[in-house]
Amino acid sequence: MCHQTVSLAARHLEANGIPTIVMGCAKDIVEFVGVPRFLFSDFPLGNPAGRPNDRESQAFTLDLAVRLLAAAPAPRTTVQSPLRWSANPDWKLDYSNIARLSPEEIAARRAEFDRQKDIAKTVLNNPQAAT
Amino acid sequence: MSDHEDEGFGFAPEHDRPIPYMQRISGYYQGLGYGAPYRWAHYAEVPFAPLQKPLAASRIGLITTAAPYQPGHGDQGPGAAYNSAVKFYEVYSGDSAQDHDLRISHIAYDRDHTTAEDPNTWFPLPALRQLAAAGKIGAVAPRFHGAPTNRSHRTTLERDCLELLKRVRQDAVDAVVLAAV
Repeated sequence: MCHQTVSLAARHLEANGIPTIVMGCAKDIVEFVGVPRFLFSDFPLGNPAGRPNDRESQAFTLDLAVRLLAAAPAPRTTVQSPLRWSANPDWKLDYSNIARLSPEEIAARRAEFDRQKDIAKTVLNNPQAAT
Repeated sequence: MSDHEDEGFGFAPEHDRPIPYMQRISGYYQGLGYGAPYRWAHYAEVPFAPLQKPLAASRIGLITTAAPYQPGHGDQGPGAAYNSAVKFYEVYSGDSAQDHDLRISHIAYDRDHTTAEDPNTWFPLPALRQLAAAGKIGAVAPRFHGAPTNRSHRTTLERDCLELLKRVRQDAVDAVVLAAV
């Protein structure tokens, strides 16, 4: 949902005259919302700004992003970073892939999801109650 | 069109393309037994505001979805399970000149393939300062801002987006970088 939130924020700023660049890893979500400029890193969610413990990769990614602020010729400009997460693309098969979960895992995840939802509700209604 | 015929062209494997997250997430929650598919925000028209100054003279703001570390509110460290107790519900701001301990344990990032050990992969404030020091951008805005996620569309659109706009205007930014975890 992070990608949806920042995409909506980017649109709102842009509609009010402030140029924006979204950095993210979920191409379909950002483009479905529709943003002016998007630097897409084909990395696992959590790494919009470069590879972990790799300053060069992070500097490269942010530099590409800010250059796009000036260089994008029109809305819906997406640039895909040339950086690769791994030579092996199999990591892309895992995220939220229901076909890869056993019935026991599905039941456990449902229970955990319900539990976290209850915690979030408690925090929202009474921030001091969170433990 | 057999595999044999395509040999030698250097084609990447079929699954080596951007993950179809909307399809995966929808299938995941339906598989868990939650019925109605999520309605994603979707627009046909996209606004566009050209940058008014050269990049090297522009003041750049930063918006993040990461959350400030909260001692005593459960594991938020690298590899922590999803921790909804550290979600936040109001836009927050921080001094861009300072270092900040921002975490992502409140977010459904890819826990199988990233360890969340290096905050610079989701919060590029130090890298933004370096771009300013190198003269590639004019300046870093005095504050960065945190955007609450996983809210209703109404809350995001009618409250949080307005607050973010107000704050970046106060900062007199020329442009904003938004990093989605």
